[in-house]
Amino acid sequence: MISATPIIIAAGKVDAIVDKFGLAWGKFIAQVIIFWIVFTILKKYAFGPILAMLEQRRQRIADGEAKLEKIAKDAAEAAKNSQAIIDKAEAAAARLVKEADDAAKAIQERRQQEAVSSANTIIAKAREAADLEKEQLMSQLKREFGRMVSDATSRVTGKVLNTDDQTRINQETAAQVSA
Amino acid sequence: MSIFTLQSHSFSPVLANVHSYASELFAKSSVLGFFTNSVLVALVVLSLVLWFARKATKSMTLVPHKAQNFFEFIVEFLYGQVEGIVGPKQARLAFPLLGTLFIYILVSNWFGLLPGVGTIGWGESTGILSIKAAHDPLLRPPTADLNATIGLAVSAFLVWLFLTIKEIGVWGFIVHTFGPKGGLKGVMGMVVAAVFLFVGVIEVVSIIIRPVTLSIRLFGNIFAGENVLHTMSDLMAGTGPVGSFLGSIALPLPFYFMELLVGLLQAIVFTLLCAVYIQLSTTHDDHGHEEEHH
Repeated sequence: MISATPIIIAAGKVDAIVDKFGLAWGKFIAQVIIFWIVFTILKKYAFGPILAMLEQRRQRIADGEAKLEKIAKDAAEAAKNSQAIIDKAEAAAARLVKEADDAAKAIQERRQQEAVSSANTIIAKAREAADLEKEQLMSQLKREFGRMVSDATSRVTGKVLNTDDQTRINQETAAQVSA
Repeated sequence: MSIFTLQSHSFSPVLANVHSYASELFAKSSVLGFFTNSVLVALVVLSLVLWFARKATKSMTLVPHKAQNFFEFIVEFLYGQVEGIVGPKQARLAFPLLGTLFIYILVSNWFGLLPGVGTIGWGESTGILSIKAAHDPLLRPPTADLNATIGLAVSAFLVWLFLTIKEIGVWGFIVHTFGPKGGLKGVMGMVVAAVFLFVGVIEVVSIIIRPVTLSIRLFGNIFAGENVLHTMSDLMAGTGPVGSFLGSIALPLPFYFMELLVGLLQAIVFTLLCAVYIQLSTTHDDHGHEEEHH
């Protein structure tokens, strides 16, 4: 037979605690309901949107960082490419300048040669012309000298010279002038 | 002089007369008998929290406005703490409860420090609109009412139970609580199993006691704080009007700062303990799984 005394004493202590702290189902449930209202509304309308916003911002920052990294990478790549292009352009420019220089030298040389050739031609022509003119002058001189010699001979000798005499005198005179 | 006399005789007479229970604002037998001064303050706290949450989350932008910024700071800080304890997976599920617990308890605790809370009410009249002491105060912080703290602890317990069962299942919970660890076999294994069975029983008792400890710890701290503040305010009550007035301001002042700290600390303790309980019961027994694989 188990004694009921301890149970009665325990129940009495529980009652004393309940009375001392004003514990009651109605008050307890009211407090629980109030807390659950706060919990439900905060969960749905505050924590959800705030956490979503924080996640969105975190994602945006991460995207920004990634973009920044990509931009820096692209910039480095672009700088590298532009340097390569500049180097290539510089090499091409140097080559063109050298080609132009060579071409200019070749042209200058050709022009020089042409000028020398032209001058030689002009000189040769001038010389030919001078020779021709000299020859003409010489033949004219010879003719004139021959005529003068014939004339002088006819005057000195008092003889009218025939054509053969004149021709012979002219030839002899011309031969002596040429010598 | 009277102070020294009182101290020399006994400590109990100087304690303020703060009830250990919340006073009903309507007749006990009426339908609104549950409506106590702490329920009233709980409704005020509810309104305050929801008003601010509404203000903070209304028209949110990526560049936050002041209220949004403040609320985001609190939420981010709390989420970080919770995540650090229960892990990323459980944090997503447990945070709404733990966050609400922290905010609700903190606001309730600090609400009790507002002038008028616990001092305006009904009592022995000493003149027009003046009483000797508020026998039945109009306002009382919910966390100084055991009904409320038990309600909070039971709510936390139910969510803990839900998260635990959801994560590891009923059988997993039983194995987690009573199952032997270490993988020993034979006689030693049986001895260890018996030990772990006994440990499991103790664990179950500790789980059942958790809501009790949580609620009494919170109630005890806040109720004690109320007592300290009232006691300090009334300490120089018998020294004339000027002394009484100055004493009621100067003496409780340091304790107000202490109570601010206690209010914050208790909110943190309650929330973190709940987080730890969730972490303890939702952690998978990796050693067991590893041994099963072997």
